Amino acid sequence: MGEKKPDVLQGTLDLMVLKTLEAMGPLHGYGIARRIEQVSGDTVSLNQGTIYPALLRLKQRGWIKASWGISESNRRAKFYALTRTGQKQIEKETENWARIAATMARFLAPTT
Amino acid sequence: MDRIRILLSRCAALFTARRENAELDEELQAHIDLAIEEHRRQGLLEPEARTAALRAFGGVTQTKERYREQRGVPLVEQFARDLRFALRQLLNSPAFTLVALLTLALGVGANTVVFSLINGLLLRPLSVPDAGRLAVLRIEEGGPTPNYAFCTPFFRSLEKRHDVFANVFAFERDLLQVRGHSGSENIPGQLVSGQFFQALETPPLLGRYLTPQDDQHGGSPAGLAVVISEAFWNSWFNRAPDVVGRKLVIANTPFTVVGVMPRRFIGADPMQRPEIFAPLSADPIIDAPRNHIDDGIHAWWINVMGQLKPGVSLDQANAELRTISDPILHEAGADARYVADEEKSHFHFAAEPGSRGYTFARTLFRKPLVAMFAMCGGILLLACLNLASLLMARGAARKRELATRLALGAARGRLIRQLLTESLLLAVLGTAAGLAVAPVVSHSLAAMLLNGSDGLQLDTSIDLRIFGFAALIAVVSAVLIGLIPALQATAGNLSDHIKEGQHARQGQERRRILPQVLLASEVAIAVMLLVCAGLLTTSLTRLFKSGVGFDPQGLVNIAFSMDKQQLDGDALMQLYRQLGEGLSRQPGVKSVSFQFIVPLSHVGWNGSYATPEGGTHLIFLNSVGPDYFRTMRIPVFTGREFSWNDTRASGLKMILNQAAAKQFFPNGNALGQQVLNPREKTAYEVVAVVGNSKYRDMSAPAPPIGYVPMMQDEQPKPSLTAVVRTDGPQAPLAAAARLLAAKLVPSIPAPLMTTMDDVLNESVSAERMMALLAVFFAGCALLVTGIGLYGTLSYATARRTSEIGIRMALGARRAGVVAMVFKENAAVAAAGSGAGLIASVLLSRALASFLYETSPRDPWVLGEAVAALTGIACAASLVPALRAAWIEPMQALRME
Repeated sequence: MGEKKPDVLQGTLDLMVLKTLEAMGPLHGYGIARRIEQVSGDTVSLNQGTIYPALLRLKQRGWIKASWGISESNRRAKFYALTRTGQKQIEKETENWARIAATMARFLAPTT
Repeated sequence: MDRIRILLSRCAALFTARRENAELDEELQAHIDLAIEEHRRQGLLEPEARTAALRAFGGVTQTKERYREQRGVPLVEQFARDLRFALRQLLNSPAFTLVALLTLALGVGANTVVFSLINGLLLRPLSVPDAGRLAVLRIEEGGPTPNYAFCTPFFRSLEKRHDVFANVFAFERDLLQVRGHSGSENIPGQLVSGQFFQALETPPLLGRYLTPQDDQHGGSPAGLAVVISEAFWNSWFNRAPDVVGRKLVIANTPFTVVGVMPRRFIGADPMQRPEIFAPLSADPIIDAPRNHIDDGIHAWWINVMGQLKPGVSLDQANAELRTISDPILHEAGADARYVADEEKSHFHFAAEPGSRGYTFARTLFRKPLVAMFAMCGGILLLACLNLASLLMARGAARKRELATRLALGAARGRLIRQLLTESLLLAVLGTAAGLAVAPVVSHSLAAMLLNGSDGLQLDTSIDLRIFGFAALIAVVSAVLIGLIPALQATAGNLSDHIKEGQHARQGQERRRILPQVLLASEVAIAVMLLVCAGLLTTSLTRLFKSGVGFDPQGLVNIAFSMDKQQLDGDALMQLYRQLGEGLSRQPGVKSVSFQFIVPLSHVGWNGSYATPEGGTHLIFLNSVGPDYFRTMRIPVFTGREFSWNDTRASGLKMILNQAAAKQFFPNGNALGQQVLNPREKTAYEVVAVVGNSKYRDMSAPAPPIGYVPMMQDEQPKPSLTAVVRTDGPQAPLAAAARLLAAKLVPSIPAPLMTTMDDVLNESVSAERMMALLAVFFAGCALLVTGIGLYGTLSYATARRTSEIGIRMALGARRAGVVAMVFKENAAVAAAGSGAGLIASVLLSRALASFLYETSPRDPWVLGEAVAALTGIACAASLVPALRAAWIEPMQALRME
């Protein structure tokens, strides 16, 4: 079944989606999934389907909103966009993530 | 904040699920289409592009499932889905569902009905503001049962003391003769003491309630007062707003209505619905010519309750009552011998919790009700066991489905939850059906139970307690029904179940012990219910067959209340004679006489009499008219009936029944002998010896009875009952008696007619009702057990089709197959009957007190119960056995 790639960590997917929407503006689910795959450079395994529960979770928190639109290939698709709370949330989540990463880095750094 | 928002949006999603599902489908479809397009742009062909898109996506179904879980409230949604699934499952097998619902409805309904009787009689508190502070007072005299009846002097002494009780009050049920526009009427009411209303703390609807000022001789300075109920205000005064201040003529004396009590107020006896409350001290007027107050310590006629002072405990009250008992005993003015006797037997007053009020009927009906409750519990347990074994058989048939689902990743807990949902649905539907019919049934049962006790009422309406009880048994029965089958069905090795299918190897499975145990216990319970029904009916038929000593058929009683009219003595006897002659002229009437005590109506009159030689005996008494024994068809062995000439002037006469004659004159002729009343120092000449007859109730043997002529009766203005022997229609007699009374004594209330058959039936109403219920339950138990045995066996046999096919292909005969299938149920029936018999023998002792000349281990009854069950087990095995015997071996084997 090919080589094993690490799964996406719980919670990181949300931030990836938010950052994607921040960078790209309103986007449909497939677009978001593709963008995440491209940015992560195929280093993590992502079933594209898993972003839908994540999208729903973000929507329930009111950080993103959804509306039906037309895709670049003229197909009806649901487009997601950041809300104002979502925009603010990105900062907080980024800080959070940085703190965790820094903590982890300290643990993983070779002890001197 | 976030949590609430998420929860809200999840809950909202519960209602928009269908639309959102469609949207999700479309969204995911768009995703895949977009992916395919991209792949095709990169040069892949259609099928490869689709495969690649789907692979990249992961599981579409899993995504949807996770999405839905994230969206809604999973537990609720799952439950709703389980419920829909369960409903479909139940609708798929309508016969099973119908049986399940009916048996459950029966079990739950029966339990709820009897519980609502028990609730009304034993559990429900009085509807007064502070029922918790009420206490019932009793007298302990060292006897086996405490005494709840008080005499006036004891009560008046208690009433004066306020150390532990804020109020002490007495009440007594009474019939009040109220003068209306068209003659007098007897109205049910209560005599109540001064502190009665203060203690019960219910404000009147109109006017005021009675106070201690009203409860004194002659009433308050403003005169005699009564308080009426809202019902009486409606019926008698037509809700007149100016009712307060109006007069009511009770027992020929004007009373002023001073207040109206609201409908919810029924006093302190939960089984009475008094319409008039009159002061206790008006007893000499209302009960004239009797006078319970002047009778002092000889009249034990009132019940006494107290209202504890706030903060005083029952223990403190009891301690205080003990210290005041002795002084009160001495104050009462009793003769020295009585006081000494009472002191020796540790006479003292005691208090017990009184929030539920006091009614003598509790002691009467507690045991039958508890026995009935036990029977109902049995039938419910039986219904549950039956459903459990049916579900288990079905579960075995569904094992493959369940195993497949387990293999596909369903959690065991999830499957159990789903199976339990099914049984919960059954239980809830069954309970609802049972609850729906419960009020009607319990109302009529209460009426039947109280048939013999006129004027008593039992409130069986549904309250929170009954509802809680029903909910509890619904849940308990759901678990009872569902849990074992669910555990069974989901246990064991997965791959085995899947592989098994319709295999021939399944013979062993049926031999598992658990289903057999369930069915056997069902049979055992059925045997117990059958034994119970058998014993009660045998006892009842023996009771009726034993005879009463007179011929009740074609006998009618007509009661006249003469106590408040003017005539007395010989003039009153003349009036009775005219009434009797008037009645005997009615069509079909053979003869007419009079009696003071109606036999078997649970009232009695006794006294000690002696012979000149010594031997004093306690005998029952009745005062009867001429022609009494001919009318009753009691044989006159020697001597003569009384005649109208046996007046007070002609010398005292008495007629003895055989039992009394034998007691007084063990070795000789009683006729012409003397019987003495030692207390009154009077002598009676025995003028006849007559046959024995039962006196107070049917289950006691005929006691010694002495009859005195009504013309020589000592009591003033006796109210006698005409006893009429007729072979014509009985109903017109009531109207005739009413007309006759209206013509001859217009002031008395309309005479009341009952047939002697009714009196007999009412005297055994509790026994009759128990027997009736027991037979009904036993019938249901047989039916339900039959269905259970049939259902389980036919499932099991159907699953053994291929095994039986192989057996037959190998040469087994059809008779052998029939026997083999029969054996399955035979083992269960035998084990169950055995267990049931043992349990019955152990438990039937509890029934012994309800039985008349019937041993609780009556071998006939036990045998019949087992025979009935064997019969039903055979009937239940027949169809599956025959079906098995007609299996075509080739066809069966092809199914493999």
